[in-house]
Amino acid sequence: MNPKDDNPSGEVARTLVEFLEVAITMIVFLKGFYPSAAFERRRYMNVVVQRARHPELRDYIHSAAFGLLPFIEKGLVERVAVIFFSEDSVPVERFIFKLTINPSCAASVEEGQLEFALRSFLIKLPVSKSLVKPLPQNCRWEVTAYLRSLPQVCSSKAEELWIPTDTKQWQKPPVITPVKSLNSEPLCLQLYVEHPSLSEPQPCQA
Amino acid sequence: MKRSFGSNSSNNSSGSNKKTKKKATNSSNQKTLGVAWGAASSRSSFRSSPFSDFGSYMEVKNQKLQNQFETEASASASSHGVSDSEKLIFQGVSIFVDGFTIPSHQELRGYMMKYGGRFENYFSRRSVTHIICSNLPDSKVKNLRAFSRGLPVVKPSWIVDSISANRLLGWVPYQLDQLNDTQPKLSAFFAPRRHLAPQVALPVTSCQPETGYSETEEGSSIIAEDAEEARDHVDDETDGVYIENTTPEMTEETRTNDLQSSEVNAERLGNNDIEEKQVSSELQFTPNLLSASDNRSFHASGKHDGKSIAPTSGSSIRRHSTLEDPNFVENYFKNSRLHFIGTWRNRYRKRFHGSSNGLKCEDSGQSTAENAKKSTIIHIDLDSFFVSVVIRNRIELHDKPVAVCHSDNPKGTAEISSANYPARAYGVKAGMFVRHAKDLCPQLVIVPYNFEAYEEVADQFYDILHMHCRKIQAVSCDEAFLDVSDLKDVEPEFLASTIRKEILETTGCSASAGIGGTMLMARLATRVAKPAGQFNISAEKVDEFLDQLPVGSLPGVGSVLKEKLETQKIQTCGQLRLISKDSLQKDFGVKTGEMLWSYSRGLDHRSVTAVQESKSIGAEVNWGVRFRDQQDGHHFLQCLCKEVSLRLQGCEMIGRTFTLKIKKRKKDAEEPVKYMGCGDCDNLSRSITVPTATDDVEVLQRISKKLFGSFCLDVKEVRGVGLQVSKLDSADPSNKGSRTLTSWLSSAPASVHIGQDDSLFAANFRESSDCKRHVAGGVSRLRESNSAESSFQSGDTNSSLPPMCHLDMEVLENLPPELLSELDETYGKKLFELIEKKRGKRKINSNSPHVSSDGTACIKGPKSLSVTIYGLSTSREKVYEEPHVPHPSVARTSSERTIEITDLMPSSLSQVDVSVLQELPEELRAYVSGAFPAHRKQQSSSDAPMETCKKQDQEPSGTKDAENGIGFSYSSLWFGNPPLWVEIFKVSGNCILEKFSEIYYKMVQSRPILSSVLQHTISEIGSFHDASANYLDKAVYDVCELLKQYIKLKVEGDIEEIYLCFRLMKRLAARSQLFLQVYEILSPFLQASINEHYGGSLSIP
Repeated sequence: MNPKDDNPSGEVARTLVEFLEVAITMIVFLKGFYPSAAFERRRYMNVVVQRARHPELRDYIHSAAFGLLPFIEKGLVERVAVIFFSEDSVPVERFIFKLTINPSCAASVEEGQLEFALRSFLIKLPVSKSLVKPLPQNCRWEVTAYLRSLPQVCSSKAEELWIPTDTKQWQKPPVITPVKSLNSEPLCLQLYVEHPSLSEPQPCQA
Repeated sequence: MKRSFGSNSSNNSSGSNKKTKKKATNSSNQKTLGVAWGAASSRSSFRSSPFSDFGSYMEVKNQKLQNQFETEASASASSHGVSDSEKLIFQGVSIFVDGFTIPSHQELRGYMMKYGGRFENYFSRRSVTHIICSNLPDSKVKNLRAFSRGLPVVKPSWIVDSISANRLLGWVPYQLDQLNDTQPKLSAFFAPRRHLAPQVALPVTSCQPETGYSETEEGSSIIAEDAEEARDHVDDETDGVYIENTTPEMTEETRTNDLQSSEVNAERLGNNDIEEKQVSSELQFTPNLLSASDNRSFHASGKHDGKSIAPTSGSSIRRHSTLEDPNFVENYFKNSRLHFIGTWRNRYRKRFHGSSNGLKCEDSGQSTAENAKKSTIIHIDLDSFFVSVVIRNRIELHDKPVAVCHSDNPKGTAEISSANYPARAYGVKAGMFVRHAKDLCPQLVIVPYNFEAYEEVADQFYDILHMHCRKIQAVSCDEAFLDVSDLKDVEPEFLASTIRKEILETTGCSASAGIGGTMLMARLATRVAKPAGQFNISAEKVDEFLDQLPVGSLPGVGSVLKEKLETQKIQTCGQLRLISKDSLQKDFGVKTGEMLWSYSRGLDHRSVTAVQESKSIGAEVNWGVRFRDQQDGHHFLQCLCKEVSLRLQGCEMIGRTFTLKIKKRKKDAEEPVKYMGCGDCDNLSRSITVPTATDDVEVLQRISKKLFGSFCLDVKEVRGVGLQVSKLDSADPSNKGSRTLTSWLSSAPASVHIGQDDSLFAANFRESSDCKRHVAGGVSRLRESNSAESSFQSGDTNSSLPPMCHLDMEVLENLPPELLSELDETYGKKLFELIEKKRGKRKINSNSPHVSSDGTACIKGPKSLSVTIYGLSTSREKVYEEPHVPHPSVARTSSERTIEITDLMPSSLSQVDVSVLQELPEELRAYVSGAFPAHRKQQSSSDAPMETCKKQDQEPSGTKDAENGIGFSYSSLWFGNPPLWVEIFKVSGNCILEKFSEIYYKMVQSRPILSSVLQHTISEIGSFHDASANYLDKAVYDVCELLKQYIKLKVEGDIEEIYLCFRLMKRLAARSQLFLQVYEILSPFLQASINEHYGGSLSIP
């Protein structure tokens, strides 16, 4: 009788984390972080995507994305960032997925629509190479999730995999370059790249 | 033929409507027929039918279907043994289901049958009241009015939810989302297409406590809505009952409305007489109000919420809810015992912080681990604190049963909050209804709270404790732990009795003391010692004591846990000790298991520590919360924010993370047993973190409103609201001054406190590195210079004059000459020079202000004027941001000085907010629109609002509020299909703008986004020849306005589009003066918006 009972936002969330897994892999590939031989071509949502060959890398990305599932389901996740940072933990570039799921209207969503919308991200990503900056030596990367509020006590194993990050923040507001925005009903998703601002002194204001 | 007819009419193109109109029934939507009844009829059967034409056929058919429905309905009713319980909740509702829905339309039909509604198979404007559908084809969305004929288009969940709520819910929250897409935050009360719906809940005028004020607030609460706010200000001003206040920072907030002042007063820092009284009474309570409470205490308040009640018990009982009492929040906290306990901590911290806490902290830090073994702890607790304090001076009551309760009304529905020992002997307990208590003990005396006395006694209590011991952990106002391990020379028992004696002598209340090796044991000992005794559990007696102790008396073991333990046949700690730690942890969870294990052995790893800094500050109300509509909710939120802001200020804290907690009635929850309680609720919470910590009430209100909105829930379901601020920082005293606008203004720009709402924009602008031009418009500047103005005028000390670079030339130029020269003197004659200099460099926009002089009229002010002020490059790259004031404030300024500005009309209709115009009474509207110089036909572009005018005229304030609340008008240029701007541009007289609208019309089928319009503009227009200067300014203004509204529309969800537009704009800027100006005006605005939402700036390569 009530379609809301079977938690349709869970369906959206599952699609989303799956998508995130692919997209994160794409970003890492795009950055040339690993040699391109470390990836293999796969097809996802009918688009050619890359997948990590190395099981550990694959596993990291997979667990990162799926570890988010409980938080996304609860609507806690505000942004998911793929952060590339230099040796001294200062971010060089951050790919931000800003997401909002509106659970109240998730009922009517169809899987196909959402996939269609998400596909546009996967199409846009490989052609966004011009946006990104070359990485410095010895850099590292991580996936960071920004939550709307701190989660309550961890209730499952998956959630425990997430730890507070110690990556430094930028002092100045970053420069944002949007990559793709999706503004559909159950899910609003925006992907943009943040670079540190040219740290010139602020003109009028201290 | 059928097929085509069906599709035709379901599209409801106006042509087919006309055709079918004459016929008895407007039929529509063949789809439904097919699914519901099988594709029974075919063309041939129709031909051979006895009906003369299709119309009469449909008439008969509808009649038949209706009869079928009714028969089935009555059949199902009788078969279900008609339910008195199943109310006919859909009485009067007649739905038409369009397209695929979940639940299916068959099910919906069944529901309607069962619950007294009607189900129409064919759409008819006359019989259908609601259209139910899950999604609409694009064509219908575009042509919604043609499709829905003004009926509400609602999601099926409305029906489902209504059934589960067992009453007819408002359909507004269930409106089809697709429709909202085109107009985000479309007002529930203002949407033109809904005006015909029977249950549009237009608010009643009498319950509009804060018309003008809340508008302002609401405006400010919608991010980046300067435009709207600008208009609000005009509203304020033109409301006719506006009284100027000389205190600058109050200017915006003060508006006196004679009719409503009694209700309004709680709302504002008012300045009329009544309000002053209110304020002073508020001030009396500041000790309570200005204090913080930590998380814990408010969780407590969640549990036994509402031992408090509004003071007006004599008056109507309905005042006890948010529904009736506009001062609810304030009264709630004034009378809440839990609030007292909660906020007491902060008071304590302040009081004793300076003296000894510093030392204590260090001490306790060291002693935590090593000394744990040999420590001695005394737990002191005043006996039945809340009662004994009240009766300490009433000896006649000392041995009588007495209980404290907020009210002693004969109904006895109030809860007892504390009872003294004689009363407890009768079985009277805290939390009991007075009625029951009186059954147990008829001679029970009920006394009210006396918060001042509580404070006094608590202070005395702690004074005594601090005299004897340095390591004190204050648990509550009447309860503390003393770590006396270091005091080797004093026997703990002797110390305890000394302290108790002193307490009794000083306060007149008896205290009990427990002594033990750990905090746990000390506390357990106190329990034995009570009342008025003391008890020592020495280390060797611990096991013996615990052996027989029922598990329920361990702290942390509540009724649930106790029951669980009892099912395992564990009743005493002795039995508990037999179970291994692992199995306890397995059964009860890691933490609880650990706790049980160690408590049953008398172990307690906590050590006596000083009061900790609160991690969060907030307020929560779970009692008496009932909202009638969105507005009640927002009003309540505002009050709550005020409270929280006061608490923050009381603690001298500012916070960055704001968490809004909502208690929402569970779907199947009954009205709670406790009067006005919260009952069975779902707890929801959301939070938001802002970059800069704040305690500003307006920021709080803005944020909390946003959060509240994000829950997307029916306000009627809300049973409790709490707002918490965390990530606290101590408010730097140097920042303190900047809390008020005036001081912010008068201080140098460097010290600007960015977290402040109003200044946020301006500050951001300044920060954005390359804003060489001045951005027009924006309420921040409006306000800012507003108060700047008033600070001049109220003759504030000269020292507080803003630096000259902060003055807004626009304002200055429009000042009456005598005023200007006065100002000039204060600036040492430099002002004129500056003005001259500016004038030379600037093209002055001809837009003139537009405030109708009528009391209720409100015409949108120019949200911005397209004046660009070229950086008056005095030195290096230092660029001044000129606070820029749209004219309304000028008008205000001048009216203060009783100098009349006659030419108040905007030069073009494009500056007029159509929605506002339509709200005006008929004759006034005619008058106003008659005053416009040219092209005034656009105003009729949407005729629906006009129709609603009459209705809304009756409750002008209500509609305005509602409209603001959801932000209908701020996107007005983008409202409609095609959007309003297309019309306006079409007749703008500027070839580029006309081109815009032309291109839009070309692509109108696909509802193009702006970037594609721009794209086409670039490709189609080879060269731009800029219009003459006059037209240019106008065009610049129009385009700016368009883009600004577009940014606001898109900034949250689609920066990609904004990014595209601005890249295109940049390309256009290279070719056209017009776009160059627009681009330069808008970049800072864009960056500020982006910064607010994303904490960064957009890179536009």
